[in-house]
Amino acid sequence: MKRKSYLFLTLAVILVLSAVAIPASAKETAAPAQPAVAAQDAETLEIYITGLTEDTQTWFRETVFPAFEADHPGVKLEILTGGWGTFDTDVAGWITTGEGPDIVYLGSEYAATYGDLLADMDPYLADWEDLANFLPAALETATYDGHLRGLPLLMSPRPIFYRTDLFANPDAALPATFEESLAFVQENTVVGDAGVEKQGFMDIGGGLFDAQEFIGYIWSAGGELYNEDGTSAFDSEATAEALQFMYDRRRAVLPTEDTPGLPPIEGTPLASGVVVSGIFPMWNVPPTSDPIWENVAIGPYPAGANGEQLIQVFIDWLSVPEYVENKELAGEFLKFIGSKEYAIELNTVAGFTPVRTDAWDDIRANDPVWDQLLGLAEEYGRGFSDIRASAELRPLIVEQVTLFLTDQQSLEDTQAALKEAYDSILEANGYLD
Amino acid sequence: MANQYRLENIFWALGTVAFIAITSYLIGLVAKFLVKLRGFSETEQRKAFWGALFAGPWISGFFIFVAGPTLVSLYYSFTDYKLGKPIEWIGLENYRVLLKGEGTYGGRFKGAMFNSFYYAAIGVPLQIVTSLGMAMLLNREVKGIRLFRTIFYLPVILAGGPAVLLAWRYMFATNGGFVNVSLQRFADSFFLFDYIYRSVVYVIESLNGFYIGMAVRDDPIGPLKYTFPALLGLFLIGPLAFGEWEESKRNRARRIIEILGAVLVGVLFSKGLAANPINPVWTYAFGLAGVGIMLLNARAEKWSAIRTTQIIALVLIAASLVMTLEAANFDPTKGDTPKYLIALIVAALPLIVPFFGKWTTFTTKLMLAAAGILGVIIFVLLIPGQLDGGRLELIFRYLTFQSAIEQPNNMEYLEEVFPFETISTMWFYGSIIVVAAIAALLHERYPKQRRVFLYAAFIFFALIALNSFLDTRRYFQDFADIAKANGKPNYHFARFHEFADEYPENRRVPFWLTNDIWSKPSLVLITMWSSGAGMLIFLAALKGVPRSLYEAAEVDGASGVQKFFKITLPMISPALFYNIVIGVIASLQTFEMVFIIRTTETESSLMSAAFFLYQRTFQQLEIGQGSAASWILVVIIVGLTAMQFRFSKWVHYEA
Repeated sequence: MKRKSYLFLTLAVILVLSAVAIPASAKETAAPAQPAVAAQDAETLEIYITGLTEDTQTWFRETVFPAFEADHPGVKLEILTGGWGTFDTDVAGWITTGEGPDIVYLGSEYAATYGDLLADMDPYLADWEDLANFLPAALETATYDGHLRGLPLLMSPRPIFYRTDLFANPDAALPATFEESLAFVQENTVVGDAGVEKQGFMDIGGGLFDAQEFIGYIWSAGGELYNEDGTSAFDSEATAEALQFMYDRRRAVLPTEDTPGLPPIEGTPLASGVVVSGIFPMWNVPPTSDPIWENVAIGPYPAGANGEQLIQVFIDWLSVPEYVENKELAGEFLKFIGSKEYAIELNTVAGFTPVRTDAWDDIRANDPVWDQLLGLAEEYGRGFSDIRASAELRPLIVEQVTLFLTDQQSLEDTQAALKEAYDSILEANGYLD
Repeated sequence: MANQYRLENIFWALGTVAFIAITSYLIGLVAKFLVKLRGFSETEQRKAFWGALFAGPWISGFFIFVAGPTLVSLYYSFTDYKLGKPIEWIGLENYRVLLKGEGTYGGRFKGAMFNSFYYAAIGVPLQIVTSLGMAMLLNREVKGIRLFRTIFYLPVILAGGPAVLLAWRYMFATNGGFVNVSLQRFADSFFLFDYIYRSVVYVIESLNGFYIGMAVRDDPIGPLKYTFPALLGLFLIGPLAFGEWEESKRNRARRIIEILGAVLVGVLFSKGLAANPINPVWTYAFGLAGVGIMLLNARAEKWSAIRTTQIIALVLIAASLVMTLEAANFDPTKGDTPKYLIALIVAALPLIVPFFGKWTTFTTKLMLAAAGILGVIIFVLLIPGQLDGGRLELIFRYLTFQSAIEQPNNMEYLEEVFPFETISTMWFYGSIIVVAAIAALLHERYPKQRRVFLYAAFIFFALIALNSFLDTRRYFQDFADIAKANGKPNYHFARFHEFADEYPENRRVPFWLTNDIWSKPSLVLITMWSSGAGMLIFLAALKGVPRSLYEAAEVDGASGVQKFFKITLPMISPALFYNIVIGVIASLQTFEMVFIIRTTETESSLMSAAFFLYQRTFQQLEIGQGSAASWILVVIIVGLTAMQFRFSKWVHYEA
């Protein structure tokens, strides 16, 4: 009996404590009628940027945030970061449930994925005169349905790198068309008894096919992913041309599907001495100070019969979700971090390539490789944007195009399968009326 | 600001503690009440209260974090729910799409299920053999054996790690990788090894090429679809037909009926689910299956098994009732719904009977009558459809060595008409059940008739197997001929032809992780490498085998092989059973390895069911379909596990 009384007593104490505690916390958060200074106390802006190093986080906390907080008394900034492994689930969870950070870092193709779940930031950003200095391809990436949903933060141009010292014909010009590219890959590939010994071309995934690259070739063949009515344009001639080009290029490297590929490469493919050309991200090439760059030429994607050469520009940007209450403040921060001064500093601190062309001067003057890259991005750049239902499109492309490239499906069937499946995906996701 | 957060954290922590305390107290009270209801003493009630109180935190956690989400996911599986969009109730649509393999995602799920079954069917036996082999090696008293045991167990800790899988990528590199270079060196040095090695490569590539065509590409297999059930018939009926008939054969016949019956009911049920609304034929079919299983159990005087069958069948029928009504928006008068409801009632009635009173001879007669009526109904409903266009003629043709392909030069006929407008293979599986049932009924009372009947059945299945296989060769050749005549590549089973049409050249190497032919065998090899966990269990079991048994066998002059099969294997059968059950479950849930080792070109061929539901749920945010996929996987895993337990008589728990 005594033990029971103790138990009841303990429970009662806990209940009383929690009864006092919960209303107290509620009072603490819901205080709209408090004086102005107290209201500002509650104004916290949470910024989520993926994959930040400890140094970059420190720079945000110690340099950027105090400066912004000084300009905006009563506002407190906080930085959140996370790994790429959980990026998709974290971001999807926040944006779709309406609870999360005020500013969310997104990749290139996400504007169409989240659409109207991201705030229309035109009222806060459209009149900002600095926008004129942003690379148009970058702004395009952060735009959905004609409205800016945030501001680009960094860019990654994806051109083709050529090792000129490995060319079979040292005087050869960089290929500008699909036809020339095929001839180039054929000329620069060597297949021995054990398999491929020297590879004329390698895609970003280290193989001979990449879904994003396929989209790039559709564009450079003069095609688009969508028809005017919003349906998929995978049945277009440009898609057929891109597919055929990728197939022929594969055969130029691997004459048959049972030809072993290159031996494993240690280090970066560009420096391996066995890869003549390829598409590589900047983190997978030697540092631009490496002497190897004296023998590296950079060029855009080759073009199809009715298209133009281009370079895919991947943009990482800061979006403002629709659930954010103080969009104006979020807009203020975007303008702040998007200023020329911080764009240059971010390049130094974190290696982020600025999306503002007026922040390129120093970089271009000091680094001939970046000078060339940025020049090409300006001339040929096309943002990897407006990719609708991207999470479903990629596996679809991988599934169907692989069948075609490995001789398991005809070109016509591949196009038909892509078109049919993507149309149903677009419809299910509300992109078609 | 920071203080506010700190305070909030403290308040939440206190609130949580209070919640746990109150919930645990309530759980304790419930436990006490339940014990009181059962008439236990005050002391027992107090014990129950305190026991439940201390288990309370776990129980409340279980309900909140396990049972709750599980039920919510069950609800989501009946909805069209994409994260960020409103939830819409769509009934069985997700299940229908996935079970029928409809559209992009249905097809992908089907491929993923085939891949998962590959991991289970090929991977688990190989893993068992490897781990048992390792355990037997390490069950010797040699110097430094502990070090060896540690070394063999190490891969279990390392296997799932990205670094180790990356190392496997290097080792499995087609050109210059350690494995291929070693194989080539051996092949260069020993001609016999070269021959065996290339033969193995040829067999693996051909089989996997065929598997890709059938499972991933979904190419039509034509007459081969009759070869599989006919071979199964041969495999099951053969041992019954030949040799001495004993009681064990009758039991085997019963097992055949039970296993095939359960699989057939499962297939019919899922097909019935996939139909919209549920086809009444399937309802009658599983009513009949339920009655049949009850009759067999009554004959064997297994009364608890009758109750289990009854409950399972009634649950299925109740589920069908809900689904049928749901398809009609809960309007029982709408369209054909009354027809379906009548089917459900008719199928359910005989299943309810054994609930009342004891099972008597009258019950048996009643059940036999019910089975007859259900059989006639199915026959009447099904036969006309099967006779359409002379479908049954196919059997006659195969029994008289004729081809069933009528238009060998017509691609449309081969692709669209032939596989679909022919007799359903279900008849063949059903025939096996019927043959086994008749054999069991004839038993020893009619030995001559039984023998003649089983011989006839064996010849029937042999003729169907042989002639459908020969027809399959014609069928495949027809595709090749049409493609050749049109000057186009033959895409029908393209991967199979690519590797099977030519014996591998000298110095030919496996492509391991770089293509779809070798990706699955590579994954199986990596899992074999990490069989240490199974090895440990086998090792413990081997240690428990009494030495005296071996000594006695040695005195009797038993050989090593005899000792292994007659002593070791039966004695370690509980460990073997455990490893098989766990292995099958784990292989059906394969995820991490697929996630890490897949490349653009091997993604489809490696995609497992678990990876499919991850992709659908967490990458594409289709919570509804992802949940349905996970529930289908749950049912399959539970079904397979239950079946393994049901047929685990070979497991000896005592010496």
